[in-house]
Amino acid sequence: MNLSRLLLRQWRKRPGRALATVASVAVAVAALVATWVAADASRAGYQRLAETVEGVPSIDISARGGGRFEATSLPRLADIAGVRAVVPLFFRPTLLRVGEKRVRELAVGVDVAALVDAGLLTLTAGRACEEANEIVLDSALAEGLEKQIDDEVIMFARRSIRRMTVVGIADSESLKWFAEGGGVVVGIQPLEQMSNAFGLVDRVRVVVAPGGSRPALLEAIAKRLPAALLAEVPAGRAGMAEDILHSANLGLDFVTGLTIAMAFFLVGNAMLMNVTERRRSFALLRVLGATGRQVQRFVTVEAAVLGLVGSVVGAALGLAAAGPISVGISNTLQAPAAAFTVHPLVIPVAVALGTLVAIAAAWWPAREAARVEPLEGLADAPPPAEGVSRRFLLLAIVMWAVAAVVMTLVVWERLPPRAAVPAGILMMLAFVATTPFVLPSLCAACARLIPERWRIERTLAVEQIIRQPIRTALTTGVLVVAVSNAIGLGHAIRDNVDDVRGWYTRLMRADWMLTHAGMVAGGLTPAGPQARLAEEEVRAVPGVQRVEGIGVATGRVAGGACVVVARDIPADRPLPIDPVGTTEAELRQALERGEVAAGTLLARRVGIKPGDEVDVEVFGRTTRVKIAALVVDYTSGGASLLLRRDAASRLFGLEAADIVLVTAKPGRAAELRDSLRQIAESHGMLLRSFENVQAFINGIVSGVVNSLWAILGLGFVVGSLGVANTVTMSVLEKTRTLGLLRAIGMTSGQVTRLVLLESLLLGVAGGLIGTVGGIFTALLIQFASQPLLGHPIRASLRPSVVAINLIAAVAVTALAAWIPARRAIGLDLLESIAAD
Amino acid sequence: MSILRAEHLEKTFGGTAAGSARVAALDRVDLAVEQGEFVAITGASGSGKSTLLHLLGGIARPTSGSVLLEGVDLASLDDDALARLRRRRIGFVFQRYNLLSELSLVENVALPLVLDGVANARAEEAAHAALKAVGLAHRAGHRPDELSGGEQQRGAIARALVTEPAIVLADEPTGALDSANSRRVIELLMQLVAERRQTVILVTHDPGIAALAGRTIRMRDGQIESDQRNVSSGTASAATPPLGGSPAGAVSQ
Repeated sequence: MNLSRLLLRQWRKRPGRALATVASVAVAVAALVATWVAADASRAGYQRLAETVEGVPSIDISARGGGRFEATSLPRLADIAGVRAVVPLFFRPTLLRVGEKRVRELAVGVDVAALVDAGLLTLTAGRACEEANEIVLDSALAEGLEKQIDDEVIMFARRSIRRMTVVGIADSESLKWFAEGGGVVVGIQPLEQMSNAFGLVDRVRVVVAPGGSRPALLEAIAKRLPAALLAEVPAGRAGMAEDILHSANLGLDFVTGLTIAMAFFLVGNAMLMNVTERRRSFALLRVLGATGRQVQRFVTVEAAVLGLVGSVVGAALGLAAAGPISVGISNTLQAPAAAFTVHPLVIPVAVALGTLVAIAAAWWPAREAARVEPLEGLADAPPPAEGVSRRFLLLAIVMWAVAAVVMTLVVWERLPPRAAVPAGILMMLAFVATTPFVLPSLCAACARLIPERWRIERTLAVEQIIRQPIRTALTTGVLVVAVSNAIGLGHAIRDNVDDVRGWYTRLMRADWMLTHAGMVAGGLTPAGPQARLAEEEVRAVPGVQRVEGIGVATGRVAGGACVVVARDIPADRPLPIDPVGTTEAELRQALERGEVAAGTLLARRVGIKPGDEVDVEVFGRTTRVKIAALVVDYTSGGASLLLRRDAASRLFGLEAADIVLVTAKPGRAAELRDSLRQIAESHGMLLRSFENVQAFINGIVSGVVNSLWAILGLGFVVGSLGVANTVTMSVLEKTRTLGLLRAIGMTSGQVTRLVLLESLLLGVAGGLIGTVGGIFTALLIQFASQPLLGHPIRASLRPSVVAINLIAAVAVTALAAWIPARRAIGLDLLESIAAD
Repeated sequence: MSILRAEHLEKTFGGTAAGSARVAALDRVDLAVEQGEFVAITGASGSGKSTLLHLLGGIARPTSGSVLLEGVDLASLDDDALARLRRRRIGFVFQRYNLLSELSLVENVALPLVLDGVANARAEEAAHAALKAVGLAHRAGHRPDELSGGEQQRGAIARALVTEPAIVLADEPTGALDSANSRRVIELLMQLVAERRQTVILVTHDPGIAALAGRTIRMRDGQIESDQRNVSSGTASAATPPLGGSPAGAVSQ
């Protein structure tokens, strides 16, 4: 016989205790695996979504100072880690003649066959160009021109007219990432030849390999480039994908971190109860001569074994749950389906982490067990009441202080936003660590609401809570984290969504929109010469009340890439953008003076502020402009400069409208559809209704929001299971006390009420503390995200979010206590009194 | 030379928290016990007899004073060394038996040896021998809850003896037993003293049992009120007397 046999016998004698401990670890590890896989699915979903919206992540190489450059001046880049492809691009405006139709288009010269082979260009029909007189057409343009494979079009280029054969139709989505809105794809050498620009390219686009880091690649490429060339993230592509990914990833990291924290509370509490329940056994072992180290080893070995078993079970459960969660998140994100994959490290890391957390969580109980006074083995008295030491308070204060300092540095932009994640988690841990100091008073205060006729149960319930404040804090800690998390992130998500919705509702105020494929999503063309004609034609359509044109061009400001947005700003309508730190009237006047408004994110990135005079380069022309104000703008990730169209025409020669917003006369929106569609098709443009655009953006926003909600919900489920388990263990631990109470005449109803009341008090107190934590978290997230967004988001208290979470917390604890309460009244009196 | 010696032992409880009263459980107690003595400690509740036993056994530390077991000052030992000394040199018998309910009787008896790193086979062999000595060899495989109170207490005595300790400390070992089982337990202890020269210190309320010991120490208010030797009983050389009734031949020291 050795101590391991004693361990086995203890498990066999009281399997409920061991099973509850294993269940705690299993729930924690399952949550970890499911959250990890769900977070991975969300990240992959965001990535696919961003690629769908903006195209493949890439880096542009262009001539410093603008213009074309010799392709041969480019060093070898394909061998750099993280490079998927190096794609030279040549652009030239052209005119297509199809029958009587003449359509201005942007021709893109590229190695079509290489792109198709690399999976970077999808042909819906035909093949890649092989000869000089072959072209591939964008599917939307082909449809508008009513052209099919083997049809011919006439292409006008400088000093030449070419008869071209359509050999392929390209999927519009797959053109977005490189065609800059152009719909005619030609071999790069024939197009150079047509333009009399042999060996020259406009830019070279380097495609980032899946999983590659764009910033790292940018740095590596920049090191190899000659001084005349410049590497940068393409304007209009940097923002949305990376910003959505970045902020969503921060959210996912935060939620994953909190799940680990919850797992730690859960397992820690289980271990604490598991050990405390056997305090008498340990005391007896000490009397018989077991050293403290032997007792500690006993508890640690038990924790390792139960932790390992629980981790394996939890990993299996987590994997089983992860599949449906992953698919659900992909569906929610409306992202193209991807095969459900699990990172190979998920299972081994989760099992190892679960076991380690179990061992770590058992450290303190093991230490306490080792310190059990042998005399306790002789006494029938219950274990002494826990005290909350000053050292514990000091620890909580230090955690608060460290977290607050890191968070302040993030807000001051001295630390990257990513540092807010561990700081937020530390703050949440500090918050839970503070609860033992307030929980007893709060529970006692809540208990006053319990009717006087239940005073016995009330008194005993409060006594139990007050007697063991640390244990109680750990039990409620799970709930506090879940509620804080849900309320905090719930508020932050809703506030962010409202901010984005407010932005695009102001921006896209129309019934119809004519645009190039992908324009709304941020794919931007150089001046679209064809759109001017379309604009005029639209104005002539009966039933049209208002036409607002928006011209877009890529440019550079203060050394950074930007998107210049020139739009009609009617005097009789509110500004389409929300100014920050100034009034709408002042901004309107400034715009009329020819000044520009900068997106908050652009201002933050390139370091410009209102009143600055900066050089802006568009179409190779550099003009000095004054920044009138900053505006909330998510266009191209907020990297935008906005000005009036007349000013854009004067300053940059930006004349054309690439997007045409059409507002119908009241009640006539529907009847415009056919006329507008004809105009759009004849100009190779897409017609979209406002509802369509709204649904598209709502879909993106809702997808991201829902995926975060799903993971938050998962956390709440874990919290519920954790509370259920700890309440069950608590009842197991109190078997003897409950048996004694029954023996001296407590009715089964009173015992049920006692267990339920104790649990409910914890639920209410945990819910209230969690609510305070949640509101605090929400404010914290707003502060921490300000550097990311460049502007403050209006925070508002949402009673519905608070109420739902509070009710859920109370309901969860009531449900969690129900089964243990039933078990308590079913106890055999003699057995329970004899229990030790 | 005394096998166990207590010098100026004091033990106080409370008085650390604000407002809590300071209670002196033991007050300057001096005591010496020779090998093979059977000592009974008696006294009213709260007189300090159990506290004295706990201090002598090293399961509580005195506020001041010292306890020397076979010349080793218990105060000089750290927690682990004290634990090792307990398991090798001291056997405990409690009123509530305190057998681990998860283990069989033989496993319970073997436990101190297992804690001391003795191989399982050897530990169980010794445990079987100890059980045989207390007349429970046939119950070795049973769990404590399958045994009567008397059997459990005899099992506890076997556990106390398995390491061949210098001293056996018994705290009200008959307190939870009926008279027949009480008699068997006391007979067993006396037999140990008689046959093995085992030193036994026993705390009891029962004057009849105390009178069977070779020496009776009476405690009052944390001090030794009297220390008597009983000429005809409870020594290694005395025969085991019949239990019950007033002891004959008890003389004052």
